[in-house]
Amino acid sequence: MQTFHSIGTSTDWIVMVVYFIVIMLFGSNFGRYTKNTSDFFFGGRRFSWWLITMSIVATGVGSHSFVKYSAKGFEHGISSTMTYLNDWFFIPFFMFGWLPIIVYSKIRSIPEYFEKRFSPSARFLATILLLLYMIGYIGIGFLTLGKAVIPMLPEAFTILGMTFPITLMGAIIIIAIITGVYITFGGQTAVIFTDLLQGFILLFAGFLLFFFGITYLGGFDLFWNLLPAEWKLPLADFNQPANFNFVGIFWQDAIAGSIGFLFMNQGLIMRFMACKNVNEGRKAAAINILFVLPISAIVVGNAGWIGKAISVVSPDIVSPSVSPDQIFVVVANIIASPGMFGFIMAALTAALMSTVDTLINATAAIYINDVYRPVRKFLKKKAVSNTENDRRELGVARYASVGVTALGVLAVLAFKNFPTVYEAHGYFHSTLTPPLVVGIFLGVFWKRFTPSAVITTFVGGVALMILGARSPGIFIAPFDHGIEMNPDHPYSYIRALYNTLVCTGAAVLVTITTKWQRQLISTIRNNQNGKTIINAIVIITISVFSIVLFNISGMSFQVLSAILVIMFVPLLVTYFVPYDEKINTSGLTAGSINIARKLFKGGEPNDQEGEKVLVQLEAVGGDGNVVRFSNKDMEDMKAVPGDLVYISDKRKWMGGLKSIHAVFGPPHDEIGKVYITADQIKHGLFVPGKILEAEKEM
Amino acid sequence: MDFTHTWLPFIYLYGFGGVLFILGVIITLKAGSFNLKRKAHKKWMWVLLFGFVWYMMMHALLIWAALEMISVYTVPIVLLGLVVVFVVVTLMLRKMERA
Repeated sequence: MQTFHSIGTSTDWIVMVVYFIVIMLFGSNFGRYTKNTSDFFFGGRRFSWWLITMSIVATGVGSHSFVKYSAKGFEHGISSTMTYLNDWFFIPFFMFGWLPIIVYSKIRSIPEYFEKRFSPSARFLATILLLLYMIGYIGIGFLTLGKAVIPMLPEAFTILGMTFPITLMGAIIIIAIITGVYITFGGQTAVIFTDLLQGFILLFAGFLLFFFGITYLGGFDLFWNLLPAEWKLPLADFNQPANFNFVGIFWQDAIAGSIGFLFMNQGLIMRFMACKNVNEGRKAAAINILFVLPISAIVVGNAGWIGKAISVVSPDIVSPSVSPDQIFVVVANIIASPGMFGFIMAALTAALMSTVDTLINATAAIYINDVYRPVRKFLKKKAVSNTENDRRELGVARYASVGVTALGVLAVLAFKNFPTVYEAHGYFHSTLTPPLVVGIFLGVFWKRFTPSAVITTFVGGVALMILGARSPGIFIAPFDHGIEMNPDHPYSYIRALYNTLVCTGAAVLVTITTKWQRQLISTIRNNQNGKTIINAIVIITISVFSIVLFNISGMSFQVLSAILVIMFVPLLVTYFVPYDEKINTSGLTAGSINIARKLFKGGEPNDQEGEKVLVQLEAVGGDGNVVRFSNKDMEDMKAVPGDLVYISDKRKWMGGLKSIHAVFGPPHDEIGKVYITADQIKHGLFVPGKILEAEKEM
Repeated sequence: MDFTHTWLPFIYLYGFGGVLFILGVIITLKAGSFNLKRKAHKKWMWVLLFGFVWYMMMHALLIWAALEMISVYTVPIVLLGLVVVFVVVTLMLRKMERA
């Protein structure tokens, strides 16, 4: 396979360095809006849908990177985009299930949902799985970044007569240091605004490349006619080849990947939580999936298609044997002029950095919420003031960002031996998402789903997944839809179907047998040797799980062990974990969203539809979360004291950067005035004299 | 071209995907979190159905274009037409919501 080094000129490098300095200054500038951990992680829940939509572009495009889609575009054509165009199926579940729950329940991380909905032990296991997922994702991001910049670097450089080879890992470490800088000091607001800028630049750079490519080839007709017929189809062949087939990628991406992306990608969830309300979150999701993703599909894949067309007409310029992961850089270098190539490369690497910085920020959020705070609570550390606590947590969040970045670099080692980033990412998604996806999905949409069932999904499901990974020819083959097994990387994609089925199977089986588990545990409790029996079950469960985990004994004994895990774990959870279905599902399932809204507001929601009003601020003394409007303005908004209000700078283009959420207090008589405290003015970044817009939330 | 590369993936995608999509709508309606008595949610139902048709049309048009049954230029024209329909109907629904 042909690989490249030292592509580009010094002009390109100057353009790249200038681009990065501008982006970092831009991001750091918004770091000043970070006052506490809520701002650091969630941007203060204040932004408009369009701002979040554009900032998601950089995250989405980065994560589904130029490198991997160009690679598959070069190998297989337009169908490289198919994973961008299959996210709509789960949107009803997301818009009217998961999104309102995460906003109204005020959870700050996905594991926190597991504690509220199930138990602290479910949260503990979810935290482990989610951290693995997030750090793995960061690793994939770094790997892609490394593969993108390597073709631009020389094979080695010399300092003081000593020659240092440039390796993939070396490049990744340097990139990780740069990436860590502004995320550590900026936080979520910085990320959102940097991504907003980069979202526009990315789309522009992608289309610019397409335009250059088409011009280079002599027009769109020539380009289209040069592509082989199979390259023009939007979906891959049903079940071949093993490294790119429709049915495997459907289960890996459209099912596990879509739920994973919408339901458990903490980075994306935090973006939606940064929206000013649920409806804005829905708009951001809808516009992003309907219109921005198809555009992004062209942006990220076109270098591969252009590369293919050039390789057909001029194989001496682009050889068909070019390493697919390098095709983006190779094509961009051929069709763009010096300087422009630097700009395109800067946009590409910045996109990937956007994804990685979002994930680092999100993983730090999980660390603070699900490790730092519970551990402090467990150690019964003495209470400090809210301000002091927030200052400390902000410091820890920044250190956590650094630690997560380092772990992300280590995670690269697990993926760097896959032939392409695409396959590494596919394998990673198929393997790590199913247990959490099943846990979240059934937790939200099935009230009867219990802690026993979710923990068995995490433990028993994982045991069966390990067996599948160990003997794919036995366990995954029955579901392979005719896909040939590649012995080096068996069933990279279709394993998602097997993994999802075994996790769902364990979950459903345990849920429908809940009554029997309770009866059995009740009998054991009433037995005078009850504790001994439970201790024996604990030892057996740990032993049989270890047999599966450490590959002890033959396959049939391991299968038996996995079955025993699925039988015993629910019994132990039923014995040890207190659970009240009424309390634990209230406001946390799709069927109880009205309760969630009531809890969110602290009273009955007011759904009368009123108008927005324009007001001037009037600073008054006091503290708390109350603001006061005139009788007339409240009437126009159809609001009563105790309702929730959102106040923002009237200038729409600010996207809610200057805004607050508050509670309506008793009305006054000055029409067009809002009485607001100095703290609220400071937090909302309001400027006296500027007109504000107010709307009732609920 | 082989059926396994043209229409079989399309049928599988919108067959399985369609079942999941319809299940999503039914489950959220039954749960009450998606409530068609609320005007704003009626608008969302339109957006959901449009999204499904939008993607199905996009894939179908691209397959026809690849099979040279239609010109490749027809694809963006039809899709732009759909966008216009989407914008007009959404604005009409918003007007009705405010009335």
